[in-house]
Order: sequence, then structure tokens, then C-alpha cells
Amino acid sequence: MMTAAADTPVVQVHDLVKHYGAVKAVDGASLTVAPGEIYALLGLNGAGKTTMIRTLLGMIKPTAGRVSLFGARVSSGAQGLWARVGYLVETPAGYPELTVAENLALTARLKHLPAAAAQQVTGRLGLEPYAHRRSGDLSLGNQQRLGLAKALIGSPELLVLDEPANGLDPAGVTEIRHLLKDLAAQGTTILLSSHILAEVAKLATRIGIIHAGRMVTEIAAHDLSDHVTRTLRVRCHDHDTAERSLRQGGYEPRSDVDGSLAMTADEAVRHPDKVATLLVEAGCPPLHLAVEEEDLESLFLRLTVS
Amino acid sequence: MRAAWYAEWLKLRRSRLIWMTLLAVTVGAAAAGLFMFISLHPGKARDLGLLGAKAQLATLDPTWPSYFGLLAQITAVGGVLFFGMTMVWVFGREFAGHTVKDLLALPTSRAATVTAKFAAATGWSLALTGYLSAAGTGIGLLLGIPGPLSGQVLADGGMKVAVTALLTIAITTLFGFGASTGRGYLSGVGVLFAILFTAQIVAALGYGAWFPFAVPALHAGITGDQSPAPAGYVGVAAVAAGSIWLTIRWWQRADHTR
Repeated sequence: MMTAAADTPVVQVHDLVKHYGAVKAVDGASLTVAPGEIYALLGLNGAGKTTMIRTLLGMIKPTAGRVSLFGARVSSGAQGLWARVGYLVETPAGYPELTVAENLALTARLKHLPAAAAQQVTGRLGLEPYAHRRSGDLSLGNQQRLGLAKALIGSPELLVLDEPANGLDPAGVTEIRHLLKDLAAQGTTILLSSHILAEVAKLATRIGIIHAGRMVTEIAAHDLSDHVTRTLRVRCHDHDTAERSLRQGGYEPRSDVDGSLAMTADEAVRHPDKVATLLVEAGCPPLHLAVEEEDLESLFLRLTVS
Repeated sequence: MRAAWYAEWLKLRRSRLIWMTLLAVTVGAAAAGLFMFISLHPGKARDLGLLGAKAQLATLDPTWPSYFGLLAQITAVGGVLFFGMTMVWVFGREFAGHTVKDLLALPTSRAATVTAKFAAATGWSLALTGYLSAAGTGIGLLLGIPGPLSGQVLADGGMKVAVTALLTIAITTLFGFGASTGRGYLSGVGVLFAILFTAQIVAALGYGAWFPFAVPALHAGITGDQSPAPAGYVGVAAVAAGSIWLTIRWWQRADHTR
């Protein structure tokens, strides 16, 4: 088996371009995923996420650029690489006439793994009650579990998961989040794409936002707070007096449609106590005063839709 | 390769296609029995209403070699459909069911997967041929076809059916290529019908002996004495080798976007 040095990125995409005639599915995107990272690709439909994932898995040939896994260039015939990778691309698909156990046994055989590997993931994904049910009779959520189980067979070093939480109920989403976090803690590298932004925020260690085939920005989860906008929102009985007082105090409040006054200046966000004191002294004590943080959804839309 | 073979055989074994093709071949064996019954008892067949006033089905000799020739013709003509549908299903189902993506980035190579698919379709087609031969022979014995069913007659007849089956299977490999490049059943079935029509037209123009897709039927004796030209047999081998090679190359090199 090929081994990569500990500091070799598990995934390396450099200036990836994929054109279908005039359509630019991916247009110069780059990303690097280090060992043990959970990297989330965020993007609108058609942004290029799945094309990038399929290129990583050797299913699509790039028009230009370089794609490497574990330091080795990806090609369709790189069997040595695929032994180290588990994946779930787009919708999960099992063979409907085969049972869950048979689908997993078949995947284990194709991955050159013993049958015990299939039994292990059956338990891990909570599929034991359905082991002898035909996969065509499974609910959407359990089909997703089957797809994840196929990806997890053999404890691969890299997991590439396209929308891993699709079709799962809230308990399932939480369960899979914990499972993926556990795997990452044990050293598994995870590259996932998702449109469930709240889930990404809870799971990923790094987020790449892709739009129109280009990587718009990459944000480390612990730096997320530096990228989001904070707003101090105030509500008072006497809105006009409060606004006038704030302006006299050097602030620049903005009236929002919900009747609140919003301030994004650093001074206001960092010292809401001073704003409260100013309003009390002006005779219009605040009914509501809170610092609100832009969520990932707003950040995503701000970065892409514009 | 063993892993790919296990996977393909498991999928085929569990499919409805097995029962559908078995039923179709059973109908084929029954049809052979019916024709032989008419040949053996034309008067009785007419009395039973099995023959219309203008029917001309008395050209079949009531002998074992003639009967095996009929089974070979059923293998050639019906085989394009039954073996062809097996080939189309084995490849087309991966695209129709969106399971192909799970076969593309594995320690089992794409070449092994494609080869196993051709092998599974060939194996099942040969099993169907064996069933047709056995069922046909049983029906022939029940009908009491005159003349001894000697070992030599059985071996010659069986060989004719088996070689016809192999020739037919060889040309159906093109349907596997069609189902792959067209990413589904429809394109495979399209190629199947295109080949059926083209073979008819080319044979009618008098070039069937050289046309690979007409060779199985000619080998089975569908036109009486006309046999395929040696170049026709080479053509069949070339179609099989070319189709398998092109299918492997396509699986390895195409952009798999679905």
C-alpha cells in the first residue's frame, strides 16, 4: 500500500478546470485537505461541488489542473488509491433486489475485504434490523444509511461524502454527525459537500465556499467568527428618541423593518453596555438589546449571491 | 476478477431477468415441439386447428437432425433477443439504477468489472442454451421423432446448437457496448433492433454470408444450404473482441457524470 508522509495533504486539488463545451462546471478551483480534517464544500446547485468530487474519485477527467490523493495523482486505474477511499456520491443507490446484508457483502468483496467488514458497518450504522430486507424496500433515510455504510466499509483513510445527511431524520443527522466526528478524531480525513449550512457549521473543521466553479473563500471553523458580521440590535418604546440619542452619541443606527435599530460598528458591537447606558440616560431604556451574529447561511448568501 | 465475478453473478442470480428469459426459452422449446408435431402429424394438426388453410409449415423433416437444426435456428433468432436482453440488462441496469458510480473507484478495476459482466451474461446465455437443448430433446422424445437418437446424432445436434449460441452471444457483446455508451437500457435495445433489421436487409441483398450479424442464423441453417463464409466467422470474432475492448476502454476513459 502507498503511504504518504504525515504532512502530505490527503486531498490536493490545484487549479482544477472542467469544461463541457461552453459550460464551465469547475473553473480553476483549488483546495487542500490535511489528514484528520473535516472539510465541507458549500455551494449552490450547479456550483461545481459534485464535479469536483467526481474528479477527485477519478470518475471525470479534468480539462486542466491537477488532482492528487495521498500525494499520488488521481487516475481511473489507481486501484491502490481506491483501497484507501470510501465514498458516497449524490443519491445513495443499492441493488434493489439484494438485501442490505448482500449489498454490503458485495461492496466488501469488491473492496477486497473480508465479510466481517460488512457486518461491522451494519452495526455501526444501525442497520441490523434491516439486514435481511431488500434494499429496494428501505425508506429514504435507511437507503442513506446503506450508502454511508458502503462508504465506511473497511475504515478507509479518506471519506468523500456528497450530502451525507440527505434524507435522515433529526436524530439520524445528529447520530451521523457524532459518527463522522469520532472517525475524524481517530484520524479519518473527511471531505463532504452539503447544503445544510447549520450542519456544516457544527461538523466541519474547514469550509470551502464554491460558486460558479470557483472557490470563493475558505474558512477554518475556528475563524468563522472573524468572517461573520455582528450586529447590535436594540428595541425601545420611543424609537425616534432612541435613534436621535444614538446618533448624538456617535453611533450610526439603521432602522430595520422589524422596528429595531441595528448597529454594526465595532464600538457598538464590542460595548453594548455603553449603548444601554446612553439610552437609559436619554430616557428610553432598551426593551431588547442583543448582539446578533450572522449565521453561515447569511454569510454564504452574502458571498455567493452578490 | 473473482470479486467482480461474484458481484455480477449475485446480481444476475437475484434478478427477474432470470425468470423472464427462462420463460421465453421455454416458449421457444414449446414452439420447436409444436413445429415438429405439425411435421409429424400434418393431418391431425389441421384437424386440431393448429394449421390454417394456407399454412406452409410442412418443410421441416420429421428427423432428429432436422429438429436440432430447428433448435439451432431458435437459438440464433431468439438468442439475439434473449441473450441480447441479458447483455443489455447486465450493463444498462447500472446506469438506470444509478449504481455505476459505486463500481468506478474500487480496488476492483473497471476492466475486471466489465469483463465479469460479459462473463456473467455469457454464462447465463449458455445456461439458457443448455436448458433449450435439454427441454427440446425431452419434447422431441415425447413426440416420438422417428429414427434412433444415437450419441452421434445427439453430439452433432448439440454441437450445432452450442456453436450457434456462441456465435449469437459473440454478436450480442455489441449491445453491452451500446448500453454502456448510451448509459441505460434504451440505447442497448436500440442497437439490438438496429442489428436485427440490418441483418435482415443485408441477408436479403445476398451478402449475409459475410455479414457478422447474419452469421449465427446462417450457421443454424435458416436459409437451407447457404453457410456463412469463413470471413463471416472472423467478422463475428472481430465484433466480439472489438465490442469487449471498446466497452472496457469506455468504462476506463469516459467522463462518468451520472
